[in-house]
Amino acid sequence: MSSTGDPTVRESPAVAATGPAKDELLATDGLTKKFGGLTAVDTVDFTVEEGELRCLIGPNGAGKSTLLELITGQLSPTEGNIYFDGIELTDRKSHERIDAGISVKFQSPHIYEALTVRQNLKVPLQRTDRETETVLQRTLEQIDLVEQADESAGDLSHGQQQRLEIGMATTLDPKLMLLDEPVAGMSIEETNEIADLIHTLHDDGMAFVVVEHDMDFVREISERVTVLNQGEIFRQGPIDEIENDDAVRRIYLGENA
Amino acid sequence: MASIPLFSGYDAVILAFQFLESFAFIALAAVGLAIIFGMMGVINLAHGEFILVGAYGTALSFHAGLPLPLAMVVGVTVTTIFGIIVERTIVKHLYDRLLDSMVATWGLALALSQLLLIVFGSSINSIGMPMGSVSVGPFSRSIYQSAFLPFATLVLMGGLYVLFTRTTFGVKAKATIEDPETARAMGVDTDRMYLATFALGSATAGLAGALFAPTLGSIQPDHGSLFLVEAFVAVVVGGPSVILGTLSAAGVLGLTSGIFTFFYDTFAGRMALLVVAIFALRALPDGITGYVEDLRQKRREQA
Amino acid sequence: MSQSTKPFGTLRSIGGRIRAPFEGPNTTGNSTAFWVVFLGAVGFLMMYPQMVNPLVLGDTTRYFALGFLALSLCLVWGFGGILSFGQVAFFGVAGYAWGIISINFASATGMTLGIVGAVFIGTLFSFILGYFMFYGGVRDVYVTIITLVSALVLHTFMAQTAGSQWVIGSARLGGFNGMHSEHFELGIGSTGIVFGGTSPDPILRYYYFVVALLIVTYLALRVLVNSSFGMTMVAIREDEDRTATFGYNVPFVKLVIFTIGGALASLGGVLYTAWGSYISPSVFAITFAALPVVWVSIGGRESLIGVVGATVAIEWMQDSLAGTGSEWAMVIVGGLLVFVILVMPAGVAPQIERAGKWLLEKLPPHSDQQAGEPTSKQTRGDD
Repeated sequence: MSSTGDPTVRESPAVAATGPAKDELLATDGLTKKFGGLTAVDTVDFTVEEGELRCLIGPNGAGKSTLLELITGQLSPTEGNIYFDGIELTDRKSHERIDAGISVKFQSPHIYEALTVRQNLKVPLQRTDRETETVLQRTLEQIDLVEQADESAGDLSHGQQQRLEIGMATTLDPKLMLLDEPVAGMSIEETNEIADLIHTLHDDGMAFVVVEHDMDFVREISERVTVLNQGEIFRQGPIDEIENDDAVRRIYLGENA
Repeated sequence: MASIPLFSGYDAVILAFQFLESFAFIALAAVGLAIIFGMMGVINLAHGEFILVGAYGTALSFHAGLPLPLAMVVGVTVTTIFGIIVERTIVKHLYDRLLDSMVATWGLALALSQLLLIVFGSSINSIGMPMGSVSVGPFSRSIYQSAFLPFATLVLMGGLYVLFTRTTFGVKAKATIEDPETARAMGVDTDRMYLATFALGSATAGLAGALFAPTLGSIQPDHGSLFLVEAFVAVVVGGPSVILGTLSAAGVLGLTSGIFTFFYDTFAGRMALLVVAIFALRALPDGITGYVEDLRQKRREQA
Repeated sequence: MSQSTKPFGTLRSIGGRIRAPFEGPNTTGNSTAFWVVFLGAVGFLMMYPQMVNPLVLGDTTRYFALGFLALSLCLVWGFGGILSFGQVAFFGVAGYAWGIISINFASATGMTLGIVGAVFIGTLFSFILGYFMFYGGVRDVYVTIITLVSALVLHTFMAQTAGSQWVIGSARLGGFNGMHSEHFELGIGSTGIVFGGTSPDPILRYYYFVVALLIVTYLALRVLVNSSFGMTMVAIREDEDRTATFGYNVPFVKLVIFTIGGALASLGGVLYTAWGSYISPSVFAITFAALPVVWVSIGGRESLIGVVGATVAIEWMQDSLAGTGSEWAMVIVGGLLVFVILVMPAGVAPQIERAGKWLLEKLPPHSDQQAGEPTSKQTRGDD
């Protein structure tokens, strides 16, 4: 599956070559989602390599969240297919996709507020065959919540809750992590903590698709960026090229009808 | 007990009356609960006892000498006042806690029915049914139960409909249900609104009790659960819309109950009603009006 | 956990390992103090028959039989988040099933196997109802309503089975009059232990039988609730949709919880019928259907031992008040229920636990046992 056959999507030449050593982890083929008369995602061929850190950006209403929901299985596509790690996911239910190795963290924190941090991590961890105590301890260290392990998750700050949620997603040992606006509404300090966490996990080989608006954050973490506009892939390439691209700036300012 | 094959014209009329009686019973019993559940998301399991309070108020004033219509007014008033007290002391703490409201109001129901027993004894003398009876072939039906009550039910529903759609109260009430935050921002005293709505629900329950008092025979303190179950089931099967939900549920359940009671007996009628309710809830988890609303929504999206 | 080189240390570590599966964040009472009190209570229960006359002993046994019903709702509601008003349906179905079996097979073997058969039938019924609801996508308050209505359907049905045509084998269902069964005999063939009747010995034996079963069941539930399955239950209770996103098959887990609850209620029903050799449709009525909710709400819906305690206390209070001619029992129970929901919605047990801990802290730390003992708020190493 090539990244896209659409000639209007300009591949910045420097990163076009995906060498034979890298495998495609996620690939969508002509993925389309229509809601009545509205086409939210339009014939998207979206590819992510193993271990890649991709950011997905675009103006509001571009279809970013919808694309994520199609990948996780919350929405069924109107047309098109989804492939992950060699299997076709298009008709699989959400929990089968999770078993296949996709983990997702949604925008708003969705943790178990009445349970402790430790218990929160246990819930997804139990689903795996991984050794509980060691993984728990390591995750707590990665998300930097060791001291708060036995506190109620509801008592944590917003940033801590987001880290907890990312931690919960990682306990499933996913190959691909989808993050939907992980630093929305966070302070600079909290944003940096999340960036560090993502780097740590990425260094361990985890692939990411991160939807974000915060361009500083995107710059901080990403290798390649995909720009979505009106349901289609508009541009793809390294962050510097995308940032300096006039057409991209225009769609954000709304001059592209 | 009529058997199925010979279905004469008289049978059809009796069946129709049976339906009307069940319909009126269910609708009147349910609408007070529907108002409270639909508007405030509180399930008042003491609802049966509220209806009973209305019946007691009516019966006691009747036996004290008041003419029946006046006695009914007394019944309604007593229940309304009682409802206001309950709201201020118990219910207002439970507005976002649906399951807790069920449990707490059940506690109230237990205490209340026992208090009625302690204070008023094991039964109160019956009020005779007014309006006499009419002969339909070999059968005779009470005019009050077969005709007046269904009529009164429709009048009440019509009145409530007008109240909710044409008055300021109704508009404010709807705003409060849909979005209390915004309603407050618009200057609506939501606290007052909840109290008023609960009072209205209580008044309606009291009215149901008052109207049904003559049909109960001797009035006993454990009659509350008789009303509660049918009301409860109808409210949930009806769905979110108060008036239309109650009417449609009472229609469906009343028809089921009426048919089975006619062909078999009251046990069968009750069982059929309950079984139909189970399957209805399974098939239409948002109730009848909830399902209709979903259909409308889908049609809008496709447009 | 504090280790010591004193001889007590080894004992304590063995004790710790035995205790481990029974403890965790999901049960009240995870300290040594709790187990000491618990063992004390068990000892008291063993001595209890010496202190009271057979009539009182018989009544107490009945309360313990009802305790199974309370445990069933505690599991399903307190841990599973499923508020069911229909546990009495399984209680009653199993009770009637046992009665029918015991009448038709009036030997010790028949009755003993009848326990298994009756519990199986009640559990099967809960499985079917659970499947119908959870795999049909029924949720929250609608589950509550369907369970309540199911019990009421049974009530209406059984109430009209008075006629002589309502027989299964030689067992007449009896309608409102109820059904009388034989005195319960546990055993095989002619070597049975008789439990029923009004003479002291069988009553004593039955008391020990029920109490032993209850203690074993309680401990088994503690293990279940503190296991990873228990964690799953709690996760579903807290946020069902979120738990599904982790790949849990939520309808299946709910079905399992509900079925286990059904089995517990069924066992209670069998013990209840066997106790008085009698059962009537009143076990399906709304007043009885709501009783487990009363016991569990007051006792503490997440506390296994709390609900058993509340059941015994409330039923005992009702009986003693009724005995003195007072009609105030229900008023007190109703008022208590309102009070608990408004003031301490988690029930009485957590308050007692808090009081207990406060007391323990007041005691001078005279051994490393007190100081190093983790409270139930902290999690132990391998919960």
